[in-house]
Amino acid sequence: MTATTIAPDPDDLRPNVSLGQTFARTCAAEWTRLWSVKATWWFLAAAAFVMLGLGTIAGFESAARPAELPSQPAWTEVRFIALPAQIALFGLAAISVTADYATGGIVAALQWTPRRTVLLFARLLVTVATATGAGVVLAVMAALTAFATANSALTLQFNEFPGFVGTVAVVFAAGATIAAGVGFVLRNTAGALVSLFVLMLVLPQVLRQFGTFASAIAEILPGSGTIFLITRQVPGMTTASSVAVLFAWGIGALLLGWLRLQRTDAHR
Amino acid sequence: MIEVRGLTKRYGDILAVDDLSFDVEPGKVTGFLGPNGAGKSTTMRMMLGLDRPTSGQALINGRPFATFAEPLREAGALLDPSFMHPGRTGRNHLRIAAKTNGIPMRRVQEVIEQAGLAGASGRPVRGYSLGMRQRLGIAAALLGEPRVLLFDEPINGLDLDGVLWIRDLLRQLADEGRTVLVSSHLMSEVQQTADRLLVIGRGRLIADATTQDILNGLGNRQVRVRTPQPDLMFSRLTEQGLTVERVDPHELKVGNSTAEDIGNLAHTLNVAVHHLSEVHQSLEDAYLELTNGSVEHHSRKDMP
Repeated sequence: MTATTIAPDPDDLRPNVSLGQTFARTCAAEWTRLWSVKATWWFLAAAAFVMLGLGTIAGFESAARPAELPSQPAWTEVRFIALPAQIALFGLAAISVTADYATGGIVAALQWTPRRTVLLFARLLVTVATATGAGVVLAVMAALTAFATANSALTLQFNEFPGFVGTVAVVFAAGATIAAGVGFVLRNTAGALVSLFVLMLVLPQVLRQFGTFASAIAEILPGSGTIFLITRQVPGMTTASSVAVLFAWGIGALLLGWLRLQRTDAHR
Repeated sequence: MIEVRGLTKRYGDILAVDDLSFDVEPGKVTGFLGPNGAGKSTTMRMMLGLDRPTSGQALINGRPFATFAEPLREAGALLDPSFMHPGRTGRNHLRIAAKTNGIPMRRVQEVIEQAGLAGASGRPVRGYSLGMRQRLGIAAALLGEPRVLLFDEPINGLDLDGVLWIRDLLRQLADEGRTVLVSSHLMSEVQQTADRLLVIGRGRLIADATTQDILNGLGNRQVRVRTPQPDLMFSRLTEQGLTVERVDPHELKVGNSTAEDIGNLAHTLNVAVHHLSEVHQSLEDAYLELTNGSVEHHSRKDMP
């Protein structure tokens, strides 16, 4: 079938709005959209509860160690808490996308921002920045809480701090990007949350219980990347391979999400 | 101005919209009528770039809607009023819309007041009635003071005050020179407000005419004549090539004619006439006549 073409009306009266301006406006709108629903606050509260709670427990555990053992940096001691807390922040990233499909809000969103690529990247930027920022701030607060309750068993060595913040930031940024991408692909909250839980936590650990082939598959799952970066204890993984796996999953999920958003009807 | 050319939408084997072409002109309220499943909402969504056409094109003010940097200043639309996050307040819903298009926040307050939502705008949408959601959707459509407005069933759920408000609003928007397209199932409402009608059935355009032309049967004017000599009248009218139907023993219905012509003929024949009138049908009658055979979902009347 061929499309009929209509000659457009010239109209010089329209204001000249650059793509950058449109993107900035969409980001501002996405910021309001994210913070104007209670779900965002609940996910952040859940992440804060897990991270600060586990930070406190880690501090008391450290305080109970024999005094002759050397003090550990608080950053190293609490890094593992990003693992359980990540689900809350990745859930936040996923639901910031899927909620619009559950409520039909995507119809209004695409009326107001019909350039779909602009909407995708604005939503991604705001969501990932929020999840990453919250993850880093909460991780630092958890380390400080652990230090405060450790009764001098933990230290705050600054030379360990940049590595700690960098690792946590990479883990949360990559995971939130994957979560948002999965949200754009599936358009379904339950499906996206279950997929993330399986990809990030379940499969990377279960597959390693089977043979070489299953372990090889586990190594290319995003959860293996985050687990290695946080624990440094995944056989066969390195920092480079972990970052590469997370990067590939982030780009892949985004690309598929963009294709679905770009090529299909807004709300189907 | 809305221009639709060869617009087609297919979902698998189902042809929802079939090669639609029409223009919606500024300065008029255009009614968009059709049975359930006729393709009205799909057509509106394609106009706004929400659904991808299988083929064809819809232009808003000369361009595809998705190409506008400030789309709310070009076209505002009320589609399904349930398409809002229930946990967000009405005011925040509008603030988000305003931010996307660089619209000042004072305009948000203006449309809230215009839509009669000043008391409710701070409450979450989940507490809104259908009518309040309709008002919020209309407020969002008006936010950018656009030249084109599309309303899909805007009267659903509105109380009498709301119906009067929307009726006046549609007329005012058209009088300001804006393009107004309104779909509705309420024939009496459309008859009162629309200057022009687009009627579609099974995705195809059935009629594109002024409301008055459609009420007049699209040129097929009919005349009722009651006479004590119906057989003579019947035969003479038939001889003249007119379509004549016998309504009862003394009354005839004549197609494609006027009361003047029939009166003159009766005078020539020296036949007494007890009643002579042109048939004025309601929009409901005209609509049913036009869409007969185009209804997708029939209900069944069970016999006792």
